Amino acid sequence: MKLISSACSVVRIPSLYASLYRPICSASLSSSPSSLKPTTPLFLRPPRFSTSISDLHKWHHWAKNLASSVGASFVQLDNGPDSTSLRRELRWLLEDSLEDPSLIYQLGSQNYAMDVRLKAPLDELYVLWRQRIEERRPFQYIVGCEHWRDLVLSVQEGVLIPRPETELIVDLVKDVALASGESKEGLWADLGTGSGAIAIGIGRILGSKGKVIATDLSPVALAVATYNVLRYGLQDMIEVRKGSWFEPLKDVEGKLAGVVSNPPYIPSDDISGLQAEVGQHEPRLALDGGVSGMDDLLHLCNGVLSMLKPGGFFVFETNGEKQCKVLVDYMENNNPGKFFNVNIVSDFAGIQRFVTGFINNKSS
Amino acid sequence: MSSLILKRSFNRSLLLSQKSCTGRQLISSLFSSLSELQVKSPPSSGLRDFPSLDQNYKFLLSGFSSFLLKTIERPPRSQFRGSKRYLSSRSSERCRASASGIGILQRDNSGSASALLSRVILPYDSNKDQLHSKRFCMFSTETAVELSTSDGLTVDRIVASNWTILDESESDWKSHAAAISQSIQVVKRRLQWKKLMVRLDLLSAELNKPDLWGDPVHAGKISREHGSLMAKMKEVIAFERELLEHIDMIKLAREEDDTELESESLNTLLRMRRNSKQKELEALLGGEHDSCPCYIEVQAGAGGTESMDWAKMVMQMYKLWAQRKGYKVTVVDEMPGEIAGIKRATIKVDGEYAFGYAKAEVGVHRLVRISPFDSGKRRHTSFAAVAVIPILGDGSTHVQINESDLRIERFRAGGAGGQHVNTTESAVRIVHIPTGITATCQNERSQHMNKASAMAVLQSRLDQLEMARQAQMNAQHTQSLTEISWGNQIRTYVLHPYRMVKDLRTNYEVSDPDSVLEGAIDGFILSYLSASLDKEEVYH
Repeated sequence: MKLISSACSVVRIPSLYASLYRPICSASLSSSPSSLKPTTPLFLRPPRFSTSISDLHKWHHWAKNLASSVGASFVQLDNGPDSTSLRRELRWLLEDSLEDPSLIYQLGSQNYAMDVRLKAPLDELYVLWRQRIEERRPFQYIVGCEHWRDLVLSVQEGVLIPRPETELIVDLVKDVALASGESKEGLWADLGTGSGAIAIGIGRILGSKGKVIATDLSPVALAVATYNVLRYGLQDMIEVRKGSWFEPLKDVEGKLAGVVSNPPYIPSDDISGLQAEVGQHEPRLALDGGVSGMDDLLHLCNGVLSMLKPGGFFVFETNGEKQCKVLVDYMENNNPGKFFNVNIVSDFAGIQRFVTGFINNKSS
Repeated sequence: MSSLILKRSFNRSLLLSQKSCTGRQLISSLFSSLSELQVKSPPSSGLRDFPSLDQNYKFLLSGFSSFLLKTIERPPRSQFRGSKRYLSSRSSERCRASASGIGILQRDNSGSASALLSRVILPYDSNKDQLHSKRFCMFSTETAVELSTSDGLTVDRIVASNWTILDESESDWKSHAAAISQSIQVVKRRLQWKKLMVRLDLLSAELNKPDLWGDPVHAGKISREHGSLMAKMKEVIAFERELLEHIDMIKLAREEDDTELESESLNTLLRMRRNSKQKELEALLGGEHDSCPCYIEVQAGAGGTESMDWAKMVMQMYKLWAQRKGYKVTVVDEMPGEIAGIKRATIKVDGEYAFGYAKAEVGVHRLVRISPFDSGKRRHTSFAAVAVIPILGDGSTHVQINESDLRIERFRAGGAGGQHVNTTESAVRIVHIPTGITATCQNERSQHMNKASAMAVLQSRLDQLEMARQAQMNAQHTQSLTEISWGNQIRTYVLHPYRMVKDLRTNYEVSDPDSVLEGAIDGFILSYLSASLDKEEVYH
């Protein structure tokens, strides 16, 4: 029930802004919105528009001032971005919009009359930047992509923007997969894949026989993940399946070499206090982990026992130290002897973020 | 070229012999011409009829194509003028050094060169009062060899003659020759010719050690350095040889009224003259890592916003300079000041010789102006320190970094992180625990890439630390540039009460600070580089 209601909110939020960013979609996509064709990231669109350097400079000047006017107010409000971060984002927006990003350095110099080629019309850049500052629309939705590890992933409203912390899951898998040939050529699952980030990250380090199944409940996420998988040419290695957690994996029960997941883990009560970019724009389906935030984590914890093959590996991302400890306790007390080598791994900020471990060989 | 000379001189020898030479002279001149084509064993039975011959002409062909190693006793000058160039060696010590040079040949061309060893004739009994009467000519890494024309002109002698250097458009071979010779001297001075030779001998000795390849890393380093110094030396010698050859050619052409040959050589000299300025410039950038890309770091000195603003101006100056040179600039790390400017910043500059030029900027830069941040409109002095770190190529030996020696931190992280936070800020700081050296990157768009970028900076810093350590250990390698510490003030920029930029090392100055701050700093760089190399001791 909870899943359904939150899925509704996913639809509702983008519709609020649909009128604002519809032109971006229609600029590159001719299909109707109902077919769930993912939006092409700004940087991949053809440079079909042009403007003079002086007009672009005017826009840039305006946008910079708008960013500077923010100061530290968002930081104080909800730990949002400060003007330094916003100005950096502005540079990246320009980078993604220009056909020739090296022109950035020429803004404000000679050749004022020269025309530059843009991937979105200038008036749209005004709209986008206003959305960024005034509505706190996440920068990644503005440009339609997120740089994650060495990947550039398409993202849009309805799909969680992959976090920097989550990059480490791929490194943790790498340590295991590269250590054993069997895991490297085995079958992996990324549950609640969202944009497909982890699945693609893993797909690129597995051997030629390795496979990944990426699951998600959200139709938008499925469309975006499929798009990203195709963009990296991994369609033969990564299969995207619709469904909740292990449901679509019945046919591979007990055969998985590894399971990874970044499930929703924020306690329901915390959702209202989230930073505006997250709470007001990202899908609740991907964030809300129930009262304790651990509904899905515990579900996954039970599931891996039957889904993983003996000696199989798992990594789960959590909300922090408290959830990590609860999860480890749960494994040890409710299923004694079934897990082994269970570890808590910290992210680069020093927060205990991941629980990793193996399924015991003798368990089945 | 050599084949041309050979043909011409061969013809000439025949010509002369028809006119006035005895048969013996004919053979000797023929022989001297042919010697470039094949190795002859001089005391061969077929030549016994000419009693003095086996003493007079002993030929050695080195492993290097056009180098002729030979000992000639009192060559009949009329025959040989214009046909050969001689390398002379005037003392027995030099001959010993030269002989060690043969050892190198032996290594490079194992088969043939070792056989040649036995035939080196050392002119211990030479007649020293006649400078050119006895020529011992061989190729080695020692400077003992001195190239000259058939009538004994050398680069040094040409310079010493003070021939008037006319405009390039004047078709005067002496003028061209003098200009080229001067350039060759400058190039040699800049390459620190004498030191280069000593280093080459040292490396050669090292290469000859039988156990060298027991340590492949060390061996690789030695043979790379040897190869690169050897190439530099060969280039200069080839240039010098070409000059002297063409002087010979011109003289020969005049004697024969061969105007075609004369203008041909004259044109070559002109081309060489134009080329020589470029060679002088290249010689400024002959350091081991000069061709590498580099990081430029600017750090604001004490003094708050005013000096942070100055640091930003300095960084901007380098960005604009790099842009002018066509280098690619990437901001790696930038720590903005609270009100204006930067506390510190690191940029990566990618392009040929980026380090070679930028290394001249290392030190403290001082600004004097009326501070726009001072409501009292007082004059302020601010400082910014500049560091430049080469980014070594794959061929170089890098310091090995153990993963376990690293602490990787999310920079400026706060709050719960994870799904709670949407941020585009993913700066990473890497601390190398044993040395305490850190590197930060925050301008990439993913944490992964920030980490990779910071890792690259860390690697370069550790490499530089190691180079500095080795430079201290190895006196041979000590360069004035690596000794510059952060504390050295190198340049002053005055915007008020007068306007001037002055380099304190070279006294080079410019009265237009704006152009300098817009990146016109090549004048400072080149004057410093030439000053620091040209002041070196006489090169031989």
